Amino acid sequence: MARLRIENLTKRFASQTVTQDVSLQVEDGAFCVLVGPSGCGKSTLLRLIAGLEQADSGRILVDGRDLTHVPAYDRDLAMVFQSYALYPHMSVRDNIAFALRTARRPEPEVAAKVAEAARVLQLEPYLDRKPAQLSGGQRQRVAIGRAIVKAPKLFLLDEPLSNLDAELRVHMRVEIARLHKDLGATIVYVTHDQVEAMTLATKIVVLRDGRIEQAGSPLELYDNPDTLFVAGFIGSPKMNFLAARSRGGHLMLPECSGQMIRCPDLRSALADGAGVTVGLRPQVLGRTGDQSLEGMIEIVEHFGSASLVHARPDGSARLLTALVDNGRDLASGQRFEARFRTEDLLVFDQAGQRIR
Amino acid sequence: MKPRMTLRWIVFAIAAFVMNFPVLATLITAFKPPGEVARNPSLWIEAPTLQNFAAVLTVSDRLNVYHYLWNSTFAALIGAVLPMVVALPLAWAMVRRGVGRGVLFPLVVNLRALPLIIFAIPLYMMYSVVGLLDTRLGLGLILAVVNLPLTVMLLVNAVAEIPAEIEEAAHMDGARLPRLLFKVVLPLCRPALITTFIFGFITAWNEFLFGLMLTTRDAVPVTVGASFFFATSGGGVQWGMAAAVMVVAALPPLVLGLVMYRRITGSMVAGAVKG
Repeated sequence: MARLRIENLTKRFASQTVTQDVSLQVEDGAFCVLVGPSGCGKSTLLRLIAGLEQADSGRILVDGRDLTHVPAYDRDLAMVFQSYALYPHMSVRDNIAFALRTARRPEPEVAAKVAEAARVLQLEPYLDRKPAQLSGGQRQRVAIGRAIVKAPKLFLLDEPLSNLDAELRVHMRVEIARLHKDLGATIVYVTHDQVEAMTLATKIVVLRDGRIEQAGSPLELYDNPDTLFVAGFIGSPKMNFLAARSRGGHLMLPECSGQMIRCPDLRSALADGAGVTVGLRPQVLGRTGDQSLEGMIEIVEHFGSASLVHARPDGSARLLTALVDNGRDLASGQRFEARFRTEDLLVFDQAGQRIR
Repeated sequence: MKPRMTLRWIVFAIAAFVMNFPVLATLITAFKPPGEVARNPSLWIEAPTLQNFAAVLTVSDRLNVYHYLWNSTFAALIGAVLPMVVALPLAWAMVRRGVGRGVLFPLVVNLRALPLIIFAIPLYMMYSVVGLLDTRLGLGLILAVVNLPLTVMLLVNAVAEIPAEIEEAAHMDGARLPRLLFKVVLPLCRPALITTFIFGFITAWNEFLFGLMLTTRDAVPVTVGASFFFATSGGGVQWGMAAAVMVVAALPPLVLGLVMYRRITGSMVAGAVKG
């Protein structure tokens, strides 16, 4: 249970700046997910918090205590590594007990805490096995057990689910959400998977090129992205982007044989003839709405509950995806009118900033 | 298929016989009585006898094979263990902190390329000053130097094979350097340490040059002591006794090698899949 505060943190490797002037606040009990494409600096940020990397400038505070220059072994944080990093020569029991024994806790206390962690993580039958004798999911749970047994101020998780198969990943995602609820712990979690970010986080921090692109609650980021990058990164299936040109309160889509759509109430800054990008989530495209784009259906994926329509707007080189609730009758080769509401339309300027 | 296999086995057998001929000849000679050695050069023993071994194992004023064996054991243990004690922290510092990676590491490894005789004269003078001449400790120390390059090389590789994340996990678990080294690095290097010990012990046991040069009576190792048996009773070489003492001298490293063989091969595999 702790509050994490990061102030103007910068980290360079050789000439490359991997974390640039990052400031961030994580509230007590929050589940903060650092998300972004590979190479965006999210793992480095986590390792800076852990103390496994030293910052070039800036400060890291946990509950007001400045940890910036405290070595990793004195930070009292727990980390779960992507590769689990279990001690291969120790049994599951000794792996989980290692931190407590390092802290010279009395052996009865160690045994009790290991037993409790094993119970919570359903590891009791495996306590005497070596990591090599465990499945991926079990190893993952040992790694988590090693973290929770310390009752640390802050949990750091570095892509903990990326080595698991799809089914197990969903299962462990629920487990981690449950652990967060039960322990009430503050968690900083790194992933490149925006679905994980959306489902687990109370706060998402989208990173790009070592900077924070946007931070907020999952739905804030989904509904109200500040930039084209965030809009494209958060949400599945991905948002549709169309190049457009403003013309007298309308947006003309040159790639879609000049179809015109009405512009939402944007600030007047949108000059006539300005090039913009229009963003439409597949979820807002359907059969109702006050506007529409027309095209030809190329492929339909029927999920049962909904259908994902890949349609080619007339004259466009790119496909538009629409998640249609009642689309069982749709088939490739048909004409398709993708309807949407004006207020669901997002507009971004040339620099990728949202125009509101 | 069948004739080809038979042919293969015949070739194997011939090759094995040729390559092991000196060993076989020595072994057989050790069981021949003195008269027969001169008369019968074949691999067939007409009158097998243990008298050569009895003579070797009998303590006389001048010759005491147990004393040589003990000297060798003591010196070889120092020569095998001391480099490991020194090289493990060194290997860790080289791999994780880059200490001496550029110059020291190649230099230490290249020590191996120098003929050992180069050390002989300065070492003799140094030893005589500090009083290490003809001591088991003195012999062990120089054997440790002989073993150091291989030990450093094997242990640097072993430490490099440990995923850095495991050490980082130990840091996150609150472990400082000593605990990290003893509880994580050392056990993970165990297969390499065993391999190093075996190679080091055998090398040290079989070493002859320094044994000859630095010892005279008290610390004579069995490699040098064995040569004393060649001309034990004045005139002519006692081939039977010489063969017997060689067999005795070769047994300890042979047994060690056989007992530990599984661990050598086992450790190679364990190193490959660890992590």
